[in-house]
Amino acid sequence: MTRRLFLLLLAVVALVPADAGAAKKLRVVATIPDLADMTRQVGGDAVDVSSIATGVEDIHAVPMKPSFAVVLNRADALVLLGLEAEHAFLPALLEASRNPKIQRDTPGYIDCSVYVQPEEVPTRLDRSLGDVHPMGNPHFNLDPGQARHIVRAIVEGLSRLDPGNAATFKKNGDAYLAKVEEAMTRWQQEAAPLKGKKFVSYHPDFIYFAERFGMVQVGTIEIRPGVDPTPSHVADLIERMRQTKTDVVIREKHYPASLAETVAKSAGAKLVELPTMAGGQPETKTYIGFVDYNIRTLVKAVTGG
Amino acid sequence: MLRSCVVLTVVATLTVAMAGAPRPASAQAGEEQLRRELDTLKEQLRRVEQQMKQQEEVIRRLSPAPPPPAPAAPPVVTAPRPAPGVAPPGVAVTPDVEELKRMILAEIQPQLSAANRTFPSQFNPAIGFIVDTVFSHSRQQKSNFEFRSAEIGISASIDPFARAYGIINGTSDDVEVEEAAIVTTSLPWNLTVKGGRFFADFGRLSTFHDHDLPFVNRPLVLDEYVGGESQGDGVELNWLVPIPHYVSLTAGMYNKIGAENDRVDNGVSRDVSEFTYLLRGSTSFNLHDEHSLDVGFSDAYTPEVRIENKKGRNLAGIDFTYRYTPLASASYRGFVWGNELLLNHEHRETSPGNGDFKLNNAFGMYSYIEARLTRRFYPGFLFEYVEDVDNKNFMTKKYSPYLTFWVSEFQRLRLQYTHTDGGPGPDRSDDGFFLQWTAVIGSHVHSFRDR
Repeated sequence: MTRRLFLLLLAVVALVPADAGAAKKLRVVATIPDLADMTRQVGGDAVDVSSIATGVEDIHAVPMKPSFAVVLNRADALVLLGLEAEHAFLPALLEASRNPKIQRDTPGYIDCSVYVQPEEVPTRLDRSLGDVHPMGNPHFNLDPGQARHIVRAIVEGLSRLDPGNAATFKKNGDAYLAKVEEAMTRWQQEAAPLKGKKFVSYHPDFIYFAERFGMVQVGTIEIRPGVDPTPSHVADLIERMRQTKTDVVIREKHYPASLAETVAKSAGAKLVELPTMAGGQPETKTYIGFVDYNIRTLVKAVTGG
Repeated sequence: MLRSCVVLTVVATLTVAMAGAPRPASAQAGEEQLRRELDTLKEQLRRVEQQMKQQEEVIRRLSPAPPPPAPAAPPVVTAPRPAPGVAPPGVAVTPDVEELKRMILAEIQPQLSAANRTFPSQFNPAIGFIVDTVFSHSRQQKSNFEFRSAEIGISASIDPFARAYGIINGTSDDVEVEEAAIVTTSLPWNLTVKGGRFFADFGRLSTFHDHDLPFVNRPLVLDEYVGGESQGDGVELNWLVPIPHYVSLTAGMYNKIGAENDRVDNGVSRDVSEFTYLLRGSTSFNLHDEHSLDVGFSDAYTPEVRIENKKGRNLAGIDFTYRYTPLASASYRGFVWGNELLLNHEHRETSPGNGDFKLNNAFGMYSYIEARLTRRFYPGFLFEYVEDVDNKNFMTKKYSPYLTFWVSEFQRLRLQYTHTDGGPGPDRSDDGFFLQWTAVIGSHVHSFRDR
């Protein structure tokens, strides 16, 4: 029995791939494709990046697969959005990963929210307010204006782990931000029709985007963050939308369609379906493509195109 | 404010400079001289303004975030968290900037000190409290409001090397420490060691607390064969095998396994042969992005069951769970098919107190399906088949449709009907209704084990 067990363990250990001698790349796991894309831009050939979410998920409900624990176990760095956006899956996966290099407050834990000025920081922490995020609304990835803060955190994080490539990371980061800046000039022009437009979303995840492009949030279909609406809340919301002449209902693609359709139809607003991460649509594989898609789709909706 | 002062100072300087300029010999030369001086001053002003802009940026970054409009209570505001000693991009770190930083930090020091005074409380463990109550009615058992549990869970890191957690459970009968364990966090080779009282890594639903089960009652096979939750006082070693595929192996040693397993007295010393030894292996296959299959094998072996007969007992089980989780709608669509099959191999007394023991292999299982139809409604169906551990010809079957209604992530109502065939008593069938109400307050962690 003991001998058999020993032989079994030996066989398992023999299966462990030996990667000695291979070019040493930093193995980076990003929680969402937006961060994976930016990390690839910054890290270039020095990093090997994968993403936990594919982009179609709700960031607050990414399924916790055991295979993610294995990926995290082998990672040199973890790039996350932060502000507790990944609270539903990341703490448990980190524990299951057994990887001391990427635990909180270690050099491999790259929190992209460190330079972001959070919106909607709660004045009170209580579950009666719903599934609130104590450090503020974490959906800043939807605002391309935050890219410089995210990229800065990634550049610093990768440089901590690979100081020899710090100059390259800085150069790559600056080059990528120049592309984002260039796109931003275009986005500001394209998004001009969005200014002052009123909208309702299912969940409060378009706050940063709205502030960037001058949209006004009238309410959310959820009665509180993470809590499905009651019939009276829906009735009140529709009434408020009628009074304020709300233009658009945004259904984030991971929320149910039927209720958003009903709300939009009842209030006479346009229904728009948008991803909340890169990869949420086939044409949104990159972060810039993702912002492109959201602006283009919203502008088309408000201009009746 | 600071910027305005500087601009005013520069303008005043400019005025004084103009007024105090010496009158030239000729008007033309004087105008030229005045123009040159004006240009110089303009350039100086531009530089000062630029410097002020940079300093304002530094101040903005070092200051706490502004409170949201019209707060009802003092806002809990998260300040930006620049890395210590790192200047914002585009701003050169000069001695002036460093001095400015020092001045600002000195200015906000009272607020920082006030905040620091609350820091010791940050060392308090995370605390959660769960209430689980059930109303039941059945033909044989009549009706009852069952205060099932009020459970306090606490957890925190001990030091860089380990964490600890405890679950203290109060029921209508008593208060007991359900779990209190230390878990290492920094052992090499993907190893963790757990010690204390905890739920042994046997099977799947044995490691769930009652309130976390997908249905109202723990499957009969787990109650009868394991002894309810797989609670054990002992030590456990777990290894996440370092290969690209998920494989987890566990070995453990316990006084006994099973909170209600009365074959062994938990509170007495024993020989090494009287402990229970556990081996478990589990893995998971991603059949597709949205389909997965978790498979596990467990074996709990007790060489000698002291209180009963000094003969051995072996409890083996396999569990497999299929999950369909559509990634884009995981919060309101999904499907789970969970199964556990157990085989109890044990010498049992042929009738109570006669001292005559006979080897009995009893088999039991449960299988359930659960659909996620909306964010709130999860209907399911549980089937159970259990052979009695004393006489395998005496079997029980249970059929339980149920419906879970999630009021929110932290509150849940569940209605279940159970039809039992082959239960104890002269009338060997029963029908029961259960209404369960469960709520959690405080810290709530989505654990990997309970996924």
